[in-house]
Amino acid sequence: MRLDDLALDNCLKCSLCNTVCPVLAVHTQYPGPKRLGPELERMRREGISTDTEWVEYCLGCHRCDLACPHQVHVSEMIARAKAEHRKPLIRGLRDWWFARPGLLGRLTTILPALSNFALSMKPARFFMSKLMQITPQRRFPSYTWPNLRSPTITCKETQRVVFFPGCFIRYNRPALGRVVIDLLERNGVAVEVASTECCGVPAMANGAAAEARAVARANIKTLAKQVDSGMRIVTACSSCGHMLKTGFGGLLEDDREFAGAAQKIASQTFDLAELLMEQADAGKLNINFRPANLRLAYHAPCHQRSQGIGRPWYHLLRMIPGVAVEDLDAGCCGMSGTYGFKQEKYAVSMEIGKELFTSISATLPQMVVTECATCQLQIEHGTAFKAIHPAEILLQAYDERRSG
Amino acid sequence: MGINRYDVVVVGAGFSGLVAAGVAAHRKLKVALVATGAGSFVTGPAWLKAQEIQQASAAPDLGEAIAYFCELASLAGCLYAGDISVTRFLPSILGDFHSVALAPLTLWNAEPRKGISTAIVGVRGLSSFDENFMAERLTEQARLITSGCTYTARQISLSRDMGVPVTTLRVAQCFDRDSAFREELLNALRAAASGFERILLPGILGLETSAEQIAVFERELGCQVGEIPTLPPSIPGLRVYHHLESYLHRIGVELYRGFPVNKVEIQNGLCTGIQVDSTGHPLNLHCRSAVLATGRRTANPLGGEYAGCDQQMRPLTSTGSVMARNLFVAGPLPHSSAGDHGNVMYILTGYRAGSLTASTRGNHAA
Repeated sequence: MRLDDLALDNCLKCSLCNTVCPVLAVHTQYPGPKRLGPELERMRREGISTDTEWVEYCLGCHRCDLACPHQVHVSEMIARAKAEHRKPLIRGLRDWWFARPGLLGRLTTILPALSNFALSMKPARFFMSKLMQITPQRRFPSYTWPNLRSPTITCKETQRVVFFPGCFIRYNRPALGRVVIDLLERNGVAVEVASTECCGVPAMANGAAAEARAVARANIKTLAKQVDSGMRIVTACSSCGHMLKTGFGGLLEDDREFAGAAQKIASQTFDLAELLMEQADAGKLNINFRPANLRLAYHAPCHQRSQGIGRPWYHLLRMIPGVAVEDLDAGCCGMSGTYGFKQEKYAVSMEIGKELFTSISATLPQMVVTECATCQLQIEHGTAFKAIHPAEILLQAYDERRSG
Repeated sequence: MGINRYDVVVVGAGFSGLVAAGVAAHRKLKVALVATGAGSFVTGPAWLKAQEIQQASAAPDLGEAIAYFCELASLAGCLYAGDISVTRFLPSILGDFHSVALAPLTLWNAEPRKGISTAIVGVRGLSSFDENFMAERLTEQARLITSGCTYTARQISLSRDMGVPVTTLRVAQCFDRDSAFREELLNALRAAASGFERILLPGILGLETSAEQIAVFERELGCQVGEIPTLPPSIPGLRVYHHLESYLHRIGVELYRGFPVNKVEIQNGLCTGIQVDSTGHPLNLHCRSAVLATGRRTANPLGGEYAGCDQQMRPLTSTGSVMARNLFVAGPLPHSSAGDHGNVMYILTGYRAGSLTASTRGNHAA
């Protein structure tokens, strides 16, 4: 088991983690995962203060965890150090908001048009840059009415699942949520939309462990009943999927009341493509695809890789006649959710993305597909290519008469 | 055949696993490679010792297996030099000589040669490599093996801030990513190499560099370049690993990286699948045959029940019965003792196991 055992002594200092760290590859001063993880962890456990600003530069991509030959949970150690790290006031305030995309979403979607207008205005961006240290280089994704609802259940569906939309689908792109529901329904799966909070990844990434624990508990309370009744949880955002599958990042391991339920949720969470692939392997996938003429480039988000499910989207899209998919396999995009929005980290974020940008430009696809919303933002920011969720391509491939 | 259904699932991505996956894929089988880590490539120089060749010389298929490995490496863009009938002395991390039969080309280029003036070039601030120590030791050791080669220490400084300490990994990553850095390194090395016919560097020439790119670098430099192994992470070793892995990916091997194997599914004497310990819930890969090329102690998915293998590489239980007819062991597993049995044996057993999966194809309906 990966996450219930930190396995500090398994670190043999082989440095394989350092060879895959996206930050270390571009930042000559960054100490790297081996140092920030297992090496400093020994001191932290002795009670020796090793607080360093560098822990803030960890992307949380989990590439170090995957590289480790002995299953040392390198990034989990760094995440804990991050939670202990004391930040200067302004960054602390900024990260407080970044840790709470659910709250931000609820507030901005009271009047989405006004929020979008305000967020896109030059003075606002200047203000955010100066007072909040948010880079003026990027635009925020636009917000829309949070109108994603559970569809009416028709009797022909054989399987029922609960869909965990996450903040981005709920507040920024409910239309993608309807695409997910439509895809599942076309494959005989009835969907209920969970009335859950943020998954907690942004809170973890911004060092807000208490907030992450709070949303984890709230989510468990909401999901436990449905999971107990035998329903599976489906995610379409790779970061939400990662969080749920890791039992909320091991945050509640010592929590008697919630640890068991967190594990159960972890075991019952499936990525949308994983579920569709399961249907395909059982010969139950609806393969009534219209031929298309598309050249796509696929970027696997880090939190997709960290789920260990192979490349289901890559294979699913290739089942559509006339669709060519190139797996870019060009590393991390460098965005890592809110990381790329932080002024002091913008340059690092873009430098990490360079390899991916170059590889996209060399592939010259009609479009890039990737599951992660912030990977999409980064790709569209760093290249001239459009980036969308692969579910949209798959739905378009079905007969148009029932479009989502 | 479904997506998670394979002709062969190979577990482990050291020498053995990569070779087994290569053999199976080259025989047009659908292959999945499940692995954590990078075998000994991260710690070692990825060369094949002469002594190991000697120990395996009784095997009739040794030549074939090594030839296959060299071809695989060459297809992947990293060249091996040498031959099973050759012995060369190559400098080790400790400044002594190891007798080696085959090695990645840059390491092979570091062999002592009489009458060739050689500079050992270090990088200022670089940890884990001391050019003075290396030059002194190698000159001394060269006398012992009567090669008569002498070495002179030289040091270059790089203008950019590479952090403290500078590591071989840092230099290699700059080499991979930054053409301005390569240019600067080239100029610095050109100055250091003046008056020498050959320079030897610590292993720093990139994690991704192909044999071709190194040849271009050498040409631009105007003299021969060799690499000497350093402390982990071994840049020359990982360079071989990266090339082999991405080549396998290109020829259609599906890679499942980062997760150990939970369980080998065996039903009625046949292996039906490999269960991967993925996040949240296990991932089941169905297969017609499987190769286990993992470490013996740390990652053996057969557990305590496993008690060696038969002539066909099939795992046996303690009572001597075959666990599964379509399951093969390779790498450290066929050996009765723990420890390092050498890359040569790992290539040989990987080659055999890969070939056996091809010959058992269709033995049962999966």
